Amino acid sequence: MVNLAIQTNLDTSGSYLPIGLQLLFAAGMIVTLMGVTHLLGPKRRTADKLQNFASGIESHGEARQPIAIKYFLTAILFVLFDVEVIFFYPYAVNFRELGWSGFYAVLLFVAFFLCGFIYIIRRGALKWED
Amino acid sequence: MNNVLDIVYWIPLLPLLGCIINGLGRKNLSKGAIGFIGSGVILASFVLSLWVFFQVRGGNVHTAEYFPFINVGNLKIPFAFQIDQLSAIWLLIITGIGFLIHVYSVSYMHEEKPVHFGRYFAYLNLFVFSMLLLVMGANFVIMFIGWEGVGLCSYLLIGFWFKKKEYSKAANKAFIMNRVGDLAFLIALFMLIHKLGTTTFSEIFTSASLAKLSGKEMTTITLLLFVGATGKSAQIPLYTWLPDAMAGPTPVSALIHAATMVTAGVYMIARANLMFAMAPATLNVIAIIGIATALLAATIALKQNDIKKVLAYSTVSQLGYMFLALGSGAYVAAVFHVMTHAFFKALLFLGSGSVIHAMGGEQDMRKMGGLSRYMKITNITFLLGCLAIAGIPGFSGFFSKDEILAGAFAKSPVLYALGLFGALLTAFYMFRLYVTTFKGTFRGTDEQKHHLHESPAAITIPLVILAVLSVIGGFVGVPEFIAHGAHALSGFLQPVFKEAYAVLPKHEVEHSTEWGLAGLSSVLVILTVIIAWARFSKKPDLQAATGFGKILENKWYIDELYQGVIVKPLNMLGSFLSNVVDKKVVDGLVNGVGRLVRYGGRQLRWLQSGQTGSYILMMVLGMVLIFIVQFFLRK
Amino acid sequence: MNAVLLSGLLGVVMMFASFLFRTKAPVRILAILGMAVLLVANVLDTKGIHFFHVNTTGFLSFTGYALFFNTIVIACTLIFFLISSKDMQKVGNHYAEYFALIFFILTGIFLVTAFTNLLILFIGIEIISIPLYILTGSAKKDLKSNEAALKYFLMGAFSTGVMLMGIALIYGATGTFDITKMNIAGLLKSNLLTAGMLMLLFSMCFKVSIAPFHFWTPDVYDGAPNVFTSFMATIVKVGIFVGFLHLFYTAFDAIALQWKIWMAVLAALTLLVGNITAVFQQSVKRMLAYSSISQAGFMLFALVAMNETAHEGLLLYAIAYCLATIGVFGIISKMTDYSFDGFNGLAGHQPLVALCVAIFMLSLAGIPLSAGFLAKFYMLKAVIQAGGYMWLVIFGVLMAAVSAYYYFRVIQAMYFKEGPNHFSGISAFEKCVLVGICVLIVFTGLFPNIIFGWMYF
Repeated sequence: MVNLAIQTNLDTSGSYLPIGLQLLFAAGMIVTLMGVTHLLGPKRRTADKLQNFASGIESHGEARQPIAIKYFLTAILFVLFDVEVIFFYPYAVNFRELGWSGFYAVLLFVAFFLCGFIYIIRRGALKWED
Repeated sequence: MNNVLDIVYWIPLLPLLGCIINGLGRKNLSKGAIGFIGSGVILASFVLSLWVFFQVRGGNVHTAEYFPFINVGNLKIPFAFQIDQLSAIWLLIITGIGFLIHVYSVSYMHEEKPVHFGRYFAYLNLFVFSMLLLVMGANFVIMFIGWEGVGLCSYLLIGFWFKKKEYSKAANKAFIMNRVGDLAFLIALFMLIHKLGTTTFSEIFTSASLAKLSGKEMTTITLLLFVGATGKSAQIPLYTWLPDAMAGPTPVSALIHAATMVTAGVYMIARANLMFAMAPATLNVIAIIGIATALLAATIALKQNDIKKVLAYSTVSQLGYMFLALGSGAYVAAVFHVMTHAFFKALLFLGSGSVIHAMGGEQDMRKMGGLSRYMKITNITFLLGCLAIAGIPGFSGFFSKDEILAGAFAKSPVLYALGLFGALLTAFYMFRLYVTTFKGTFRGTDEQKHHLHESPAAITIPLVILAVLSVIGGFVGVPEFIAHGAHALSGFLQPVFKEAYAVLPKHEVEHSTEWGLAGLSSVLVILTVIIAWARFSKKPDLQAATGFGKILENKWYIDELYQGVIVKPLNMLGSFLSNVVDKKVVDGLVNGVGRLVRYGGRQLRWLQSGQTGSYILMMVLGMVLIFIVQFFLRK
Repeated sequence: MNAVLLSGLLGVVMMFASFLFRTKAPVRILAILGMAVLLVANVLDTKGIHFFHVNTTGFLSFTGYALFFNTIVIACTLIFFLISSKDMQKVGNHYAEYFALIFFILTGIFLVTAFTNLLILFIGIEIISIPLYILTGSAKKDLKSNEAALKYFLMGAFSTGVMLMGIALIYGATGTFDITKMNIAGLLKSNLLTAGMLMLLFSMCFKVSIAPFHFWTPDVYDGAPNVFTSFMATIVKVGIFVGFLHLFYTAFDAIALQWKIWMAVLAALTLLVGNITAVFQQSVKRMLAYSSISQAGFMLFALVAMNETAHEGLLLYAIAYCLATIGVFGIISKMTDYSFDGFNGLAGHQPLVALCVAIFMLSLAGIPLSAGFLAKFYMLKAVIQAGGYMWLVIFGVLMAAVSAYYYFRVIQAMYFKEGPNHFSGISAFEKCVLVGICVLIVFTGLFPNIIFGWMYF
């Protein structure tokens, strides 16, 4: 019977009320702002106004153009290694507490992704010229 | 007595070895060697079976556990054999008649290429192995393995001449119909495991064990087992596969579809006799289905013109009699009829094979006639077989059929009357068959006439042996009212059935009544034979059937009924699911063009993300449905 | 632990093997040797000899069951290598990488079978899935393969999202990722937990292709190169199944009332959809894809039953199903025509191969004396023991009967029909492997107790 109190505490929908309110507020804010600007703003359509805004330069061509796959490959590889490097931050913070075993673990981790790095270099994934 | 168990496993093992040798060596061995091995192993099994038979005469039961097969929790299913009087009878039938048919096959199949010859004997040996497993198994699981095995071999052998498409179809039909029955068998098996925790015969069939089942459960399990039996033993409603199964080589029809496999259902019920005795409702159902099948098949047989089809319907009809006996509680009569039927039906099939062989493959008896002049031995043996199946006094069929009819009379005079009517039909169509085939003038082509000859010794010797057995085989079961204590079979089987007979209600019939019944049926049968003989020797039944005869010729349109009521709707449901739900709804829901593109241009296939969307939509719908039910509809 | 680290390392080794060796034969030999080493290492692990001592408390726990299952997985993969590794050459140029990816997938399977932490489950599932996407699309020039990979990836990403959501909700409800420490008995009425559990159920069902989450399966299995279909339809599927069973057995047993009925309903639905659709396929490969759905329905019986028999049954099912399917695919990838008609008359051209296919089909159909029969028997038995789902048992038996129809179509085509030879030849060694698989199937069907004897030594 004692436990029951704790259980109900853990999972009452009441405890999610603030989150719900916040959602409601956020959605309401967007709706209000959009509606108000729509109503208040003057509407004069000219050809110039309907053009894309390109910092004053006249726009030309399609925005969707085929791009060489190399860009994607390089970009995705960058993201990959970038994310792996993020793991160093928590390690750096706990450097002393983790001691030697932590050091070996990180060394293993680095070794693994170094393998990956060597692999992509050998495969020629980063070679720009054919 | 331990040495029995040291040897019995050779009985099924020898045919298996034969199958392996013939199967592997079919390209290298000569036909002679294949035939010798194939027949030899069965002969050896027969000798062993004979020995076993004498070992169990005293009423002993032997159970041998070879190794644990399935152990799940507290359920233990050993790989074990049980040898008692019931299985000994079947062992003798299987190996004895099996041997004769193997010998016969050596000559009958001699025109096949060596490879196919070897394949044939490998299948045949495998069949004998499976059938032996079926009757020797000490629990339902081993029995089921044999049960499936014989079904598989039957499938392979029906489709043996696979180049003809309808033969393959017949094989499929047989297999699928059998699977329907097997299904019920399996469910009964699971219920037994669930309720009793064992499948071993000696543990189930005790009064104490069966007392654990309520009356309703007992009825359900026995009914399911019976449905299993109707599949294998070709009873209503699952009988239509057996006539089609005649597509296989004739010796196969004789062995599998007359003498052995189709009696597996009878064996199973006889094995479970105590359980069935305790479920009177099931017994009534069995009796009714049995007599209905007997009559239905007999009427169909009246108008068939294919010599093997007549025999096939006759088999279905005779199996109906066996089930009538089981349903009447006359277990011994059923086993007795299995035995005599094995003799004379194997004889008739082999005889018809001899005829077909002489006629160069012709099976239509309207094109035969007058064969008695050309084939003396076949003629005489076939006549003896017909006399036996018709139930002429003194022949084996008389004793067994009479015992069944007496059992039916004890249960209900109506069953007796119907049974007697069926017996008269049997006599009538068998003599229609005999007279049309062997008497009168030859109606085939000149070329066929020139070719007519008596078959070689490998064919006629088995015929003679079976004919002798068909004549004298009934004397092991001379009824009590003729000579006291002369029913040897009843005495032999007494240990198997005594508990069941103690449970069953007693209907004593006066000896004088039995005399009367036997006399009545004998007179009527003889009269029918004379009428049939007179009618068909004067004017053979050649013209196309009209009116009611046409309905009979078309087998009461049962096949068409099944096609329309069961097969077509199933096909439609299937193609609906396949074409509409799967292809239209799923594939075409979001992007109906997808299908066109799929077949039209493969280049564009990778653009079909619409399909993925619809897949995900279906998944989400499934999830939402489950969520709704889980959270709003369940308490 | 041996197997997890070693297979990861072997994966890296295989990655570099493409630079080390100019020809393909040494790569193959290296991969097969690696798998053999892995097998030995895992068996040693089962015997208590550990190569690595890493404290994994709270994340992984290698029970005897998981280790024995891993042995089965490795052995099956070894057999798969022996029979199919040559056919992998036909797929594309990155021969060594395919092996590397398979080693990585095995690492994922080992994690999924031994996790005690939902995070490890998630990582394991992803380690399995991502290489699979690549393998599916590995036939780069084949548009069907590309399409299959993209579809698989998109839907896989969707199910990953569902899984993460589920894990998050469960964390919200229980406050822990550790499935042994969740105090679920105290949360019987928590909607948050129920929702999370259901979402995990959905995503796991997706991975093992349970209806209605199976839609990807036929397309992907059909589009992927044969050799990889073989691998992912068998080893990967049973691997995830064991994880599925482990998850629900360990974590959600206390709220079994809430989900058992769903398992039963989904199992029935899967059997129905898989079987009925398989009946109408014209291509053996696509038929096997649908039949793998229906086999998954049978494996789901283990999750309905949730008892000792179910655990044993799933192992047996893994063996029976993997062996037979790997064997069939090994043969299909040597065929030039995948339709039923392509098998016409195979018994005449290649009697031994036809016999093997027949045995595989009989086992898949669950005909007695084969491993497949016992596997189905155990599953049905388990559900009967658990009680309350007799309808499912009856339905299962019925569906097993239906499945015999399409498996027998193959046998019928091989033995009862005539046709030109569509079989491109097989080496003597591969023949031996095929026969070996057949012997294993029959042996397991005859003496399953020997297998379980190993399990509880």
